Amino acid sequence: MIRFKNVSKLYPPNVVGLDCVSLHVQPGEFVSIVGKSGTGKSTLAKLLFAEERPTRGVIEIGGWDITHIHDRDIPLLRRQIGVVFQDFKLLQKKTVYENVAFALQVAGVFPRRIREVVPQVLDIVNLGNKLARYPKQLSGGEQQRVAIARALVHSPKMLIADEPTGNLDTLNSREIMDLLKKINEFGTTIVLVTHDREMVNRLRRRVITLEDGKIISDVEEGRYKL
Amino acid sequence: MFVSSYRVTKFALQNFWRNFWLSLITLSMLLLTLFTINLLLVLNVVTDRAIALVEDRVELSVYFYDSTQETTLSSAVAYLRGLSQVRDVEIISADEAYQQFIQRHTDDAQIMASLQELGENPFGPTLVIKADQVGDFEMIIDALDNPQFRDSIREKDFSDYQSIVERIQSITDRIQVFVIILALVFLFIACLIVFNTVRIGIFIHRDEIAIMRLVGANNWFIKAPFLLEMVLVSFIAVGITIAMIYPALILIEPQVDVYFGSQSAGLFEYFTQNGLLIFGGEFLALVIITFVSTGMAMKKYLKV
Repeated sequence: MIRFKNVSKLYPPNVVGLDCVSLHVQPGEFVSIVGKSGTGKSTLAKLLFAEERPTRGVIEIGGWDITHIHDRDIPLLRRQIGVVFQDFKLLQKKTVYENVAFALQVAGVFPRRIREVVPQVLDIVNLGNKLARYPKQLSGGEQQRVAIARALVHSPKMLIADEPTGNLDTLNSREIMDLLKKINEFGTTIVLVTHDREMVNRLRRRVITLEDGKIISDVEEGRYKL
Repeated sequence: MFVSSYRVTKFALQNFWRNFWLSLITLSMLLLTLFTINLLLVLNVVTDRAIALVEDRVELSVYFYDSTQETTLSSAVAYLRGLSQVRDVEIISADEAYQQFIQRHTDDAQIMASLQELGENPFGPTLVIKADQVGDFEMIIDALDNPQFRDSIREKDFSDYQSIVERIQSITDRIQVFVIILALVFLFIACLIVFNTVRIGIFIHRDEIAIMRLVGANNWFIKAPFLLEMVLVSFIAVGITIAMIYPALILIEPQVDVYFGSQSAGLFEYFTQNGLLIFGGEFLALVIITFVSTGMAMKKYLKV
């Protein structure tokens, strides 16, 4: 599903984001990328959805070499990858339904299809009864679930969650993690970027640890060691 | 494609209404630009008409001695009509000249008394020559120095309309330069305002744009609403101009016509006959200008 071959990312003048990282993620895996702040976790996530380009190395997603992806192909890539952020990135003037539908509207999906899919996805994240609410009328956990619903609405093969529980309390964080596990059980590959020790330890899935832009450990059913 | 176009149009209209006051400023500036450009056109039409009218009235009167033979006169007429610069030659016989003189001075007792004292028609035949262009008269006057009839010519009377034409031209040229500069200034300000409208639009919609990019909207879908919004503003500007200019022409044309005597300045007619070309051209020009300004603003501020 994901293949990094000796990937490095350097920022001018001489800041190392990633240093010769190689990894392979199988389809359907749930991988946590952990590490201290500034170790390159978010850089790795950004490389996955082509927000950043690598300085060296090769990146493949589902057999597609995106190392030098052309600007016009980025939207195609992003429709196959769901992305969730710590700050939710919801449109405050749109309702829950509209926020999720927006992802389909910009992709040119027909209105009838949008009317079918959006309630289904919102049911998956247990927000089927809050379609008409605005983000500010929801809790942090609910807002993150809207963001996850929006990420899922294209039926992506992979979901990248960059610190999805960073703004949430323990209870809401657990709910989000349970939801991600549920999504993973449906076959979606999950890449979780986090420094939330408790969540990683509860998951008991593959853990890749980064330090100074390098992979220092890659363990199946790992734990947060740092 | 149809669904995407519909949504792009919807987003463009939303941008317009959500930034209504900004859109209004842009619209006002485009209107001012169009106003000055159309003022320039009106000025051109009036000037051309005025010059044509003056040129039409320019004529050269050639007075022959009353003893001039009919054959000499005929050969002079034939010779002049053969010149390519001559538009028309009118013959006024000695009797017609006499009658015209009496009509003109019928209230002047002194002149009438002098005429009676002479006892006979003192006038000879006259040729009234009209040229295609005012500048041609110099050549026609030279041509009259023909040995066949030059000795029969008593006098040549050519009012110097050339200087009048030149004065009209000079004044209108200066006004035109002023209006062109004004139009260019307005155009420049319009470009800046369009640039800033788009810039502010991008700033206002930055969250929406970021999310669009995140969920896989293509560049066209993100950029098109900004371009379409400016096309819409241009379209409204041209529409308002059309809606204002024709009633304005109906109102001002009678005032302008006063200076053209019985004739019309032809302003309304000109704008009716060339409406499609004028306003189509103005719309196209605005679209190009707004596209360039919008493109520059997007290139600078919209990273997609």
